[in-house]
Amino acid sequence: MAFLVPEIEAVGIVKRFGGLVANDRVDLSAERGEIHGVMGENGAGKTTLMSILFGLQTPDAGEIRLRGSPVKFRSPIDAMAAGMGMVHQSFKLFASLTVWENIVYGVEPRRGPFIDRRAARTKVAELAERHRLAVDPDAAVGGLSVGVRQRVEILKALYRDARVLILDEPTAVLTPPERDALFGVLRRLAAEGRTVLFVTHKLHEATAITDRVTILRDGRTVARLRTADTSPREIVRAMTGRNVNLKVDKGPPRVGAPLLNAVDLTVAGPAGRPAVDRVTLTVRGGEIVGIAGVAGNGQSELVEALVGLRRPDGGRVEVRGADMSGADVEAHRAAGVAYVPEDRAVVGSALTASASDNLAMGFHRAAPLALGPFVIPSAFAERARALIRRFAIRIPSERVSVGTLSGGNLQKVVVARELSHEAPVLIAEQPTRGLDVGATEYIHEQLVAERDKGRAVLLVSAELSEILALSDRVLVMFEGRILADLAQDKADEETIGLLMAGRTAEAA
Amino acid sequence: MNGRPRWSALPLSLRPPPVALAILFAALTGGALVLVSGHNPLRAYADIVAGSLSLGSLPDTLNWATPLVGMTLVAAIPLRGGMVNLGGDGQLVIGGLIGALVPLVLPGPGAVAAAAALAAAALGAGLYATLAAWGETRHGIPMLISSLLLSYPAVGVTSYLARFPLRDVTTGLPQTAMVPAAARLYPLSGALNVGSLIIAAIAVAVVFVDRRTVAGYELRMRGKNLRFAGYGGVRLDRQAVLTMFMSGAIAGLVGAIVVLGSQFRFIDGALLTPAYTWSGLMAALLVGGEPVGAIVAGLFFAALQTGGFAMQRDTSVPRVLALVLQAIVILFLAMRQGVGRRFR
Repeated sequence: MAFLVPEIEAVGIVKRFGGLVANDRVDLSAERGEIHGVMGENGAGKTTLMSILFGLQTPDAGEIRLRGSPVKFRSPIDAMAAGMGMVHQSFKLFASLTVWENIVYGVEPRRGPFIDRRAARTKVAELAERHRLAVDPDAAVGGLSVGVRQRVEILKALYRDARVLILDEPTAVLTPPERDALFGVLRRLAAEGRTVLFVTHKLHEATAITDRVTILRDGRTVARLRTADTSPREIVRAMTGRNVNLKVDKGPPRVGAPLLNAVDLTVAGPAGRPAVDRVTLTVRGGEIVGIAGVAGNGQSELVEALVGLRRPDGGRVEVRGADMSGADVEAHRAAGVAYVPEDRAVVGSALTASASDNLAMGFHRAAPLALGPFVIPSAFAERARALIRRFAIRIPSERVSVGTLSGGNLQKVVVARELSHEAPVLIAEQPTRGLDVGATEYIHEQLVAERDKGRAVLLVSAELSEILALSDRVLVMFEGRILADLAQDKADEETIGLLMAGRTAEAA
Repeated sequence: MNGRPRWSALPLSLRPPPVALAILFAALTGGALVLVSGHNPLRAYADIVAGSLSLGSLPDTLNWATPLVGMTLVAAIPLRGGMVNLGGDGQLVIGGLIGALVPLVLPGPGAVAAAAALAAAALGAGLYATLAAWGETRHGIPMLISSLLLSYPAVGVTSYLARFPLRDVTTGLPQTAMVPAAARLYPLSGALNVGSLIIAAIAVAVVFVDRRTVAGYELRMRGKNLRFAGYGGVRLDRQAVLTMFMSGAIAGLVGAIVVLGSQFRFIDGALLTPAYTWSGLMAALLVGGEPVGAIVAGLFFAALQTGGFAMQRDTSVPRVLALVLQAIVILFLAMRQGVGRRFR
């Protein structure tokens, strides 16, 4: 497979943002027909490097070479013209347009001044067929699942005949079957002679699909490894600069009394079908119960009903035996529910507010932060400093707004606040989404520590490996229902994967 | 792009404050306008400054600032929590009418009548403002629209009352009977009366509530991220209703203060012509509802408008120039903010 001239090379790329050096003489080189992993923790410079390769940023120094000749991209338009394609983490699609309209956007086949709709549609259908990327060209993108949207993004790049395809964390939103399908597509593309740059921080994916990996740390290339000759341990050491415990250490659970119960809980959905359909579950003190499932199968609605953000349309929730029917968030929190929400930036924090204000939420009505109706600013600051220290949040001062923090540090702010409630029930929704290995390890340790303190932990995650690593019991949610309640030893990836797709008969 | 001074490259202490810059640019643009219309811009500006800030004119400015800053607070309080109260006009006239009527019907010493009138005006206008909040929390009617729409019936009904059933028939004008002299607000100096002190005290209280109370913290967090506040256990519906009540109550108080302190009767249209509501809304919008900034902006607009009157009196430059200047200041400030965001 080795060719003399690499398909794409980045040589000595430097990119500074103010005082921060995001890329510090980064090198990368990928062959034609290769699937090349780009790995590193958050903030290591992966995204900056990919932005430079795709013309979104211009490097301060260094050179990009395409098939040996230096190129300068001033914009993504230049990059696309040179045969680069990129599938971003958050898709860049028009939700109200159809699949084919999205795909041909900007390079529409024309007849006179008009778009030749028929030719466009046909070309898109053929392209989808040829690459075995099943999509309906006439479907509105807004109604498609994330997995299908991703296929549209890939088709968009292929329609422009991308020779080098950059995928930024493509599997974050996929189910295991969707992920496997994507891997199939990428292998076929590579076999056609296209080059795939696969940005990820998931080890098992890097080992499953890549031919080689380039590992970045602190803006530098620290390792370039042939996947077949390396080990997950070596990759992690290169990414983090230290030895990280890949498995979560936890002893057998010491299970106590039920602390959180849902009985026949039902939440109406938008299309007449219930989003949560008669869910009954129990979480006892000292155990972590995981809810596995593809995102969008009612997990968010279930959690919102459990924490009081949404009134259930049927059934009831009990916290430590007390019926919470009709109670609001404040009452749920008072009864002993702490909650790490799915989206730390949209729900879990106020980005433009200081860390001090963010860490105070929920504590701001009582001593020591408040005295009657008055708040005590010095107590806000003191509490924030203590939590910043205890949870090792990297922030210059408690007065800095949390919108400036990295994803991992912002999540630490949310987790620090919720854990410091010392509530008997902790509900954690996608607690490590988008976090790097180090931050993930930290959050996992915290969840296990909560369990070992006798608290009831409900973990909702679309990340199967996370569910498997942490849970003492696994519930699988599909179309609003709990399809199975599996003990840890019965919960394996294959069984859960089938249940997540609703295939109960095969899983049994 | 390259020609623009890159303030972000300078250390913080050396950067010109954006407000001063906006005022400077606005003054230059406005000066050019005066020049084109054949007058001396320096003379016009001197008139504005002398007519608003000189010792003799300061009471006028403060008297003008009283309702304007009051209405700035009316707009700023909901804005701090991400809500908009466009119904200031309606709440203002409700307060004004109640303020004019209570002393007419309430027996007892004048001071008691005045206090009761102010309280009733605040209560009535506050309750009227909560209608908009209630419409949003219970029935999903956006407050932005309902608060504005509710203003029209209030203005219409008070106008009708002042023209027909409650009209002072001894005059030919659409106005209510005079408030007894004892129930008028105590005069301080020139046009100034005790009402200015009340508004000043409220301004201080609003700043204190914003910075030092649980309610202020919760409102700020709501303004920064509604979903975060709800997730943290803030009772959003109750908060919306209470916030609108406070906002409306201050509007009602402003109406009653103008009536009991300056006009001594409810005159149809007299509370609305100066457009306090809209100047106040602009002052509050400029700083996103941050109370100290809003108060400063409100005072500045009051000075500009008062100075505009003086300029019109002393020169032939129409006072509209002051409003043009105000508009240009706002535009430049808004632009600075938009540009600043990109550099951050």
